[in-house]
Amino acid sequence: MLEGKFDEATLLKKIVDSIKDCVKLCNFNCTEHGITVQAVDDSRVLLVSLLVGQTAFSEYRCDRDITLGIDLDSFSKIIKCGNNEDYLTILAEDSPDNVMTIFEDKKKERVSEYSLKLMNIDSEFLKIDDMEYDTVITMPSSEFAKIVRDLKNLSESLNIIVTKDSVKFSSEGESGSGSVVLKPYTDMDKPDESVNVHLDNPVDLTFGLKYLSDIIKATSLSGTITIKLADKTPALFEYKLDVGGYLRFYLAPKFDEDE
Amino acid sequence: MGVKGLNQLIKEHSPGAYREFQLKNLFGRKVAIDASMCLYQFLIAVRQSDGQQLTNEDGETTSHLSGMFYRTIRLVEHNIKPVFVFDGKPPVLKGGELEKRLLKREEAQKQLDLIKDDGTVADVLKYEKRLVRASREQNEDAKKLLKLMGIPYINAPCEAEAQCAELARGGKVFAAASEDMDTLCYEPPYLLRHLTFAEARKMPIDQIAYSDAMAGLDMTKEQFIDLCILLGCDYCETIKGVGPVTAYKLIKQHGSLDKIVEFIKENPDKTKYKLPENWPYDEARQLFLNPEVTKASDVSFKWVEPDVDGLIEFMVRQKGFSEDRIRSGAEKLKKGLKSGVQGRLDGFFSVVPKAASPNDKKRKDDSKNSKSNKKTKRK
Repeated sequence: MLEGKFDEATLLKKIVDSIKDCVKLCNFNCTEHGITVQAVDDSRVLLVSLLVGQTAFSEYRCDRDITLGIDLDSFSKIIKCGNNEDYLTILAEDSPDNVMTIFEDKKKERVSEYSLKLMNIDSEFLKIDDMEYDTVITMPSSEFAKIVRDLKNLSESLNIIVTKDSVKFSSEGESGSGSVVLKPYTDMDKPDESVNVHLDNPVDLTFGLKYLSDIIKATSLSGTITIKLADKTPALFEYKLDVGGYLRFYLAPKFDEDE
Repeated sequence: MGVKGLNQLIKEHSPGAYREFQLKNLFGRKVAIDASMCLYQFLIAVRQSDGQQLTNEDGETTSHLSGMFYRTIRLVEHNIKPVFVFDGKPPVLKGGELEKRLLKREEAQKQLDLIKDDGTVADVLKYEKRLVRASREQNEDAKKLLKLMGIPYINAPCEAEAQCAELARGGKVFAAASEDMDTLCYEPPYLLRHLTFAEARKMPIDQIAYSDAMAGLDMTKEQFIDLCILLGCDYCETIKGVGPVTAYKLIKQHGSLDKIVEFIKENPDKTKYKLPENWPYDEARQLFLNPEVTKASDVSFKWVEPDVDGLIEFMVRQKGFSEDRIRSGAEKLKKGLKSGVQGRLDGFFSVVPKAASPNDKKRKDDSKNSKSNKKTKRK
């Protein structure tokens, strides 16, 4: 039996909202350590990997490993029914047909319960090896979101060039072009505002802005984003959850076809 | 044209071979398209609201050009790189089938003449559509258009679908696109169907994986070809009374078409099936096994910028298309050519074989009972 209680419904709300636009159906794998999700979008370009650790819950128990096949569209509708500050509890049997979501208001004696039918989702599980990256950038997540949103107005692709002392984001479209250059910067008072670049090799990669704008939907989950890049390899965009866990996106780059 | 019931057989025995998806998921792929089949489709399907074909001022049909132009652009806009393959000479064996088609057309013409005056519009249209075939000039028009659009095409020495499959097998393109299930006999790694259908029909693309299909049917390449011959190909007749289910059973039971023929010949009283006279099944089989194709390694193609002035001259001046629309189409072609190719995650991450947990199994049993969707089931 699975029972996980969040102190505030808002965390799960944000998580589901972050991934429901790129993956519609996914398996929530529940173990005694927490809940993990791995899902690939239909076009097999973007992979979502989520870990909600045991510590993210105020109460958590999972006696046997279970898989919950969830339609995120329906699930997000259910989660919207609760207030942000409500307690949220997820309940499932050992071999469940459905999953219960329970909201409890902290002040009033109001309890609402929703049950969602589970699905049998036939998905492959991909093994993600630890890769060596040429560059690791840590920056405020809101800054990255703004860059993506701004440059999306110009083009479908975002080019990221990292050199010794700067990170350059640029886009070139029919109507014009634009670029944003960031340099490493340390803010002692607000460490979240710092821009950190760890560089082994310079990189020059291009990504589809369509996918990046799906990724930045997770901005509210964390104050910072970590971007790991390597030549001709899927990039890793990671949002760490303060309470324990992470939401990672692996995005395949665009290639110039050489023939 | 079209092997009867093959679709159903594959769906039944190897559901895993089928994948349905939207056009946009094919981005970055190169595909070889059976152009002759497309032209025929366009001539049938691209019509005005009153059901008449599109024509220019001189009354020349332009449906095929409209279809070729706009649907190719749609592919390019989705970042797909098409190569068109045109039919060459038909194989000698196809003569019988072609004759049959000719007879059918003559029949349709007769019917059309009969009802021309007092028939309903729908009836007239029905017979008119049966008359449709892509003429030599229309084929040439299409080639000229493709050249101006900067889209490569090749002339197959013989059957276009065999050439498409060869290109896919040789790694020049990702898949062969044809509506014709015959194409599978030529072993393309993937066969795509409904690729050039109108967007408005909202038909998902069917992708059939050859190796998965064979694994599901548990057949060799030769057995599969024999199966297709039994189901009815373009090259020879079938045994009367043998449908998809029986054909599958016969191949499984006897192992090959030769054995089936032998068995029927030796035991005429034990079976109700009669072989067609002078049945050239072996020749048909050879056509599938060793089709006349240009080797994939001997061809190369390039996608280049469209020749806008040429397009205007041809499509607008000669064929009466609207200049604005041709210009905007050419823009889209240019844009599609420029943007880089989106990579896929495949190849970077390996798939972990899934260990079925007990509750998975339970759900799978459920899904067997309800024969609805293949991929996901709601309980």
